Amino acid sequence: MIIRFLLVAIAAGLLSGVLMTGAQELKVTPLIVHAEQYENGPVDNHHDAIRTAPALKMLAGLLSPISEAYAHGNAEETGGILFGLDRFGGTLMANLVTGAGFGLLLFAASLLTGVAITLKNGVLWGAAGWLAFQFLPAIGLPPELPGFPAADLYDRQAWWMVTVVLSAMGLYLLVLRPEIWAKILGIVVIAAPHVYGAPQPTDIASDVPALLGAEFAVAALATTAFFWVALGLLLGGAMDRAGHVEG
Amino acid sequence: MASQSMTKTVSLNFTQRMTLAMASLLLGVFLVYGAGLANSAALHDTAHDSRHAYGFPCH
Repeated sequence: MIIRFLLVAIAAGLLSGVLMTGAQELKVTPLIVHAEQYENGPVDNHHDAIRTAPALKMLAGLLSPISEAYAHGNAEETGGILFGLDRFGGTLMANLVTGAGFGLLLFAASLLTGVAITLKNGVLWGAAGWLAFQFLPAIGLPPELPGFPAADLYDRQAWWMVTVVLSAMGLYLLVLRPEIWAKILGIVVIAAPHVYGAPQPTDIASDVPALLGAEFAVAALATTAFFWVALGLLLGGAMDRAGHVEG
Repeated sequence: MASQSMTKTVSLNFTQRMTLAMASLLLGVFLVYGAGLANSAALHDTAHDSRHAYGFPCH
């Protein structure tokens, strides 16, 4: 029974991941590729590895700040796309995994809150997911292009994770709890990470044109909005068929 | 209307529901973390465009 429900959530996520991959090719991926032409700093050239020969890929992987900083002194990780996939294949696979993960998280949220996700309220569930995972964190850390200045990766990832969790809890308090104190607390919880402030780079100069950055931020948020609405509807429709959990 | 009356329900007790919720939550976190946040050069390069598109903090 448990496995069946998990498979339904995963299936809805996989399908949303496929749709996301198509939507991403319209605007988001072309903007990333365009920005990479400007991303020519001496230490930040590992993106070139994605499209170049294996030998260069290995070299770039070794030079990459990701490997140096995060391989914990272990030089075995040399980067490159897994399973010999091309760039599109890698993106599709990543979107399938991400979609399945978000599908499971959305399903878990509906179980924890006791509010079934249906075809009817799927758009609202999707909107909540988009707010918690995309829009609210983007207030502090807007979707960034390769080559953009940014603060320390660990700091940003930690802030991002905390913000996602607080945003989800805040949305629950604000939307699903009827008490006035809960709604006020919800707003406080949602605002807290922004009052604390996201990690910001000390030097904001960038070789990437600002116009591309502005276009990308909007394109990324619009594309993920499409993904989350699709996921909410697909998961709701699938749960309508599979049966809603009661109890 | 018709869809409402045909909506199926599955009865699970509290423990079963929470077990399912936790299984779904943990597996979901594992997948999203691996695709979006894990500090592996190979995972990063494979998921590169997705990480940017979803606004995950990246390099």
